[in-house]
Amino acid sequence: MALKTPQEFRQSIADLHLRIYMFGELIEDYVDHPVIRPSINCIAMTYELARLPEYEDLMLATSHLTGKKVNRFTHIHQSTLDLSKKVKMQRLLGQKTGSCFQRCVGMDAINALYSVTYETDKAKGTDYHERFKEYVRYLQDNDLVADGAMTDPKGDRGLAPHQQPDPDMYLHIVERRDDGIVVRGAKAHQTGACNSHEIIVMPTVAMRAGDEDYAVSFSCPANAEGVYYIYGRQSCDTRKLEDNALDVGNAQFGGQEALMVFDDVFVPWDRVYLCGEIEFSGALVERFAGFHRQSYGGCKVGVGDVLIGAAATAADMNGAARASHIKDKLIEMTHLNETLFSCGLACSYEGVKMPAGNFQIDMLLANVCKQNVTRFPYEIARLAEDIAGGLMVTMPSAQDLADEKIGPIVEKYLVGQCDTPVIDRLRILRLVENLTLGTAAVGYRTESMHGAGSPQAQRIMIARQSNIDHKKDLAKALAGVGKPWDKGRAKVPTAVSAD
Amino acid sequence: MTDEQQTAPGRRLKVVYCGGCNPHIDRTAVAAELLADDPDVDPGATLHLSGCPRACASDHKLSSDDPGTVVVAGELVDGVPTPAPELAPAITRKLKE
Repeated sequence: MALKTPQEFRQSIADLHLRIYMFGELIEDYVDHPVIRPSINCIAMTYELARLPEYEDLMLATSHLTGKKVNRFTHIHQSTLDLSKKVKMQRLLGQKTGSCFQRCVGMDAINALYSVTYETDKAKGTDYHERFKEYVRYLQDNDLVADGAMTDPKGDRGLAPHQQPDPDMYLHIVERRDDGIVVRGAKAHQTGACNSHEIIVMPTVAMRAGDEDYAVSFSCPANAEGVYYIYGRQSCDTRKLEDNALDVGNAQFGGQEALMVFDDVFVPWDRVYLCGEIEFSGALVERFAGFHRQSYGGCKVGVGDVLIGAAATAADMNGAARASHIKDKLIEMTHLNETLFSCGLACSYEGVKMPAGNFQIDMLLANVCKQNVTRFPYEIARLAEDIAGGLMVTMPSAQDLADEKIGPIVEKYLVGQCDTPVIDRLRILRLVENLTLGTAAVGYRTESMHGAGSPQAQRIMIARQSNIDHKKDLAKALAGVGKPWDKGRAKVPTAVSAD
Repeated sequence: MTDEQQTAPGRRLKVVYCGGCNPHIDRTAVAAELLADDPDVDPGATLHLSGCPRACASDHKLSSDDPGTVVVAGELVDGVPTPAPELAPAITRKLKE
């Protein structure tokens, strides 16, 4: 099958008849639901750009499995160039959508599993890798979206998976059969889950003895029997239910998160990629997290580009663009944004070829990238709010602006720079609001903090790879630590003559 | 990767070092231990010895398709985690496989 069109993608998601609950109700026509539609549009953009020659270099790749052109979101990275193009593709999509576009998790999951299944087979004599390659071929040939499902609810964080009072706090195997396994549990914060064709499940932590039933990885269709979704709320989400798009800020695109429930779901063996091999769950978690921490050096940068552009435009429309402090703030925002991009590229260019043949990012630099992402978007957002001014959170509604009696008053008092139509000024301020504290702030702020692992998770990885003993040796060598000291040669310096 | 290739006189193992900007292991100590052991390996056997997982000595590859080549990248031998004290014996085992 060739690459899907955006229309084919939409129809294919509708055809799945997913069980999605929102506000306590089962949603029937979820593809056209006003709260969900913007997130569908985001993924549709990954299909649309892939069909345009001007974006092909980033959006498409040549499959090492089939030799065919595939969407890069289904590609197994074959070089450091592939890794860097991934980051650039993500920046591009962030720019085009001003939102989390949700297709990255599946890409990062297949790239992590590719090497882990290979290494598990080598050590354990299993045959996960070949069946996983078959699965990747299936994703590529059908141009599918896969959700990478890692985060378990986790219950009491002080207890191991098998020690939890409720065993379902971590997704686990409840039955092993001749033809497959049956799993139960849930995955939380699942970005893009309700517009994916497939689910790829991975464990969420390194497992230890006793956790064998929790060391499980598999894939299943998004509409597998027993799978359902409870849609996550976003700040200001019900503005999407209003008729006028103005107050949404970005009415076309948006992110999506859901609680994904597995209620005794059967998985045939040919879709199982880890089943009880506890010693490989840690590697899988680290590699997926590493790839996803690299991803943020692209996607958040693209959204940052939009926010910087919105802030600069707001300054123009306020008539303040020539103020030196405004220019300096825009420079600072750009500096922070490009620093994130630099980290995303650096961990790509320092990537390595794994024994399985695929390329993996440099783990230390990927973690440094994400650690910066937990901070810089907040500062960029703060500066954007500073430049935009308080009006972005106090201005009247679209309904007021449209009102026959009140509208002209709103228009009279919200005028800014003389040549700017008031409606355009309000549009750009609503976009800043959307990105900094509206629906898109879920992706740009809190997801920057906790997505791909909370800050402390990166600090643990950084500590593990910081090579501090080498740094100590460097300092000691230059300072002469441990060398004999001749006290007699410590003389007072002779004064230098002015002549 | 540096082009420095070290084949000790009378010995058959060739060692290719990375540039050594961020070594997690003592590369020269690992090489010295190996060369002192003088493992009985085929002529042309090569050790790509990088100090960290970036694997610069082997052009960013954690393993090699060449059966006579072993890749060390920090505490990884052909991509398999191996503690520093066990590197030399693990390399010797690999070279004799």
